[in-house]
Amino acid sequence: MIKVQSLSHDFEIGRKGNKTIIPMLRDISFEVKQGEIVTIVGRSGSGKSTLLNLISGFIHPKEGEILINNKNVTKLSETKFADFRIEHIGFIFQSFQLIPSMTAFQNVELPLILKGVNEADRKKTTEEILTTVGLIDYKDHYPGELSGGQQQRVSIARALIVNPPVILADEPTGSLDSETEQELLQFIKNLNMELGITFLIITHDQRVAEIGNRTIELRDGRIYSPELSTKQEVLL
Amino acid sequence: MKLKDQFLFVQQNMKKNRTRVFMTILATAMACAFLIVLASVGFGLHKSIIKETTEQRIVTQIDVHGKEEGDGAYRPLTEKDIEALENLDNVKAVVRRQALFQEGSYKIGEYGSWAQTYVTHIPSEIKAGFELSAGALPEKENEIIVGYDFANSLVSENAKEEDMYDEKGVLNEKYKYQGDLVGKELTFTAKQWIDGEEKKKDISVIVAGIGKKPTREWVMDQNVFISQETLKEIEAFTGTPRGMMNDPNSGAQQVTDTDNHTFEEVKVYARNLEAVEGVTEKLEEQNYASYSVVSELKQINMIFTIVKAGLILIGTIAILIASIGIYNTMTMAVTERAPDIGIMKAIGANPRTIKNIFLLESSYIGLIGALIGTVVSYVISFAVNFAIPMIIQSAFGEELPEGLMFSHIPFILPLICIIICYIVTILSGLRPAQRATKIDVLKAMRREI
Ligand SMILES: Nc1ncnc2c1ncn2[C@@H]1O[C@H](COP(=O)(O)OP(=O)(O)O)[C@@H](O)[C@H]1O
Ligand SMILES: [Mg+2]
Repeated sequence: MIKVQSLSHDFEIGRKGNKTIIPMLRDISFEVKQGEIVTIVGRSGSGKSTLLNLISGFIHPKEGEILINNKNVTKLSETKFADFRIEHIGFIFQSFQLIPSMTAFQNVELPLILKGVNEADRKKTTEEILTTVGLIDYKDHYPGELSGGQQQRVSIARALIVNPPVILADEPTGSLDSETEQELLQFIKNLNMELGITFLIITHDQRVAEIGNRTIELRDGRIYSPELSTKQEVLL
Repeated sequence: MKLKDQFLFVQQNMKKNRTRVFMTILATAMACAFLIVLASVGFGLHKSIIKETTEQRIVTQIDVHGKEEGDGAYRPLTEKDIEALENLDNVKAVVRRQALFQEGSYKIGEYGSWAQTYVTHIPSEIKAGFELSAGALPEKENEIIVGYDFANSLVSENAKEEDMYDEKGVLNEKYKYQGDLVGKELTFTAKQWIDGEEKKKDISVIVAGIGKKPTREWVMDQNVFISQETLKEIEAFTGTPRGMMNDPNSGAQQVTDTDNHTFEEVKVYARNLEAVEGVTEKLEEQNYASYSVVSELKQINMIFTIVKAGLILIGTIAILIASIGIYNTMTMAVTERAPDIGIMKAIGANPRTIKNIFLLESSYIGLIGALIGTVVSYVISFAVNFAIPMIIQSAFGEELPEGLMFSHIPFILPLICIIICYIVTILSGLRPAQRATKIDVLKAMRREI
């Protein structure tokens, strides 16, 4: 589903003439198979978000290749990547990233609007998804009128609505209390089992990492124990 | 993303910033109204002047003053010229008149009048549209035709200075000639200075017919048409061509080259308005000096085209100034919505869609502004046309020509304004829209913009 090959990335800091290159990721290769939940762990600042942003196409790698759903997305133009994103990738962010001036319903509906789905179909699908995440009663609430857990479920609904084969999540429980966190993790697990959606989840929290079939650890910009690293080994 | 959804998006966005959007639309509307009203003065005056020009004259009429024969001087037209003119394509009639070179004094009983007297070619006059309101065409040598208003010019010789005219300058009823003129005998008095003395000769003429009422109310037709024979009789008495009067002091006869084979007044009538230009060109080719409404209209049109273009240009500057407002509004809208745009881009909004939404918003502002401006300018135009004549009248006590239009908004003017406004708003919205597409997803999501 996701294949990362020899990916390297540096950050450039400073202006011309006074540039500093900060090496970030070095020679990252791994694969996420269809139907898997893979978690990426590592200390804060280890480059987890950077890796996910590269896969999402928000930044472009210096070296290496990324394949999603067998499509090489490394060289896609911004426009092409946008079109690809809306069809194939769902996103869940730590800070939810809901549009505050839109209701829960409108936020969830947004990807369908962008895809050009007609209004009647949009309404039906959106209501179905809101029912799935248990928020149909809150559909006319604005993000500011929802709790953190509810907001994150709205954002999950928004990620789910286009039926993406894969969902990328950057610290999805980072803004939630532990009880809500457990609810959400359970919900992700159910989605994975019932709908076969592939998840790539980033976390710095071992308990969150536990829901993964596999865990990849980043250290100093490299995969600490690549491919072979299983859940058990990390726990040991 | 469907256009309809983009449109709903834009409307929602505009609602969020109602005041700012309203002010921008207001500025655009004012600029558009300014452009339209300004240019409408050019259009209005142009229309009024065209109306004046075409109403005062018969539009198919071409005056031919003379012919140039290579020496730069114009000579009067002769029978030969008339024949040539009549043979031109699209010429309906060539009216030619020879004027009597003295004031025609006419009398019937106690009533008398002075009238411009002509010898004319009646068949051509009729072809050109001359009609009688009473009587018949002359058959005998001493028969004449008088203009429709000739009767009104007859004044009783008993008229006294003090009550001859009322305060409006209208002749007192009791001094007016009341009877019918057709078939009546008039006395024409020819005059000449002979040996320092003024001699007179009465010639009797009979009114055969009266011309039709001129189509324009303010035109007076008091002319008299006499026959060639009557003219000869007058010439026999005066001893000069066309009854020209000698200088009372010299006594001697003046020699002039005027004879009975030239015409002072020659008017060519084209078959229709479209043919006028062609006939005028032919006349020019053949070295005739001519003048027609069409040639005058051509000049008027050219001047006013320049004037109108200038006014529209000035108005466009106003729209350009208003476009700064649109640029500002759009830039602020992009900045304010940067986090939302970032989120939309993250979940897969196409940069082109985002650009379109902002362009749609700026052109929406521009179009609404232009439409409001158009409506307002119609109101202003109406008010101007209503108020300015009143103001001028009360300030200067002068009556303006009827139907004078200060401001006229033809359909094309709002159209021009809307097109200009649309182009300008698209241009001013382009940069902000471009900026929106360049928003960095990660920065926007971290609320760094
Ligand atoms: N655009 C950038 N320019 C320069 N340095 C960056 C940029 N983005 C992230 N970094 C740096 O890269 C490091 C890794 O960041 P990140 O990938 O967010 O780590 P993690 O998500 O694992 O905490 C951090 O030290 C951060 O300061
Ligand atoms: Mg991070």
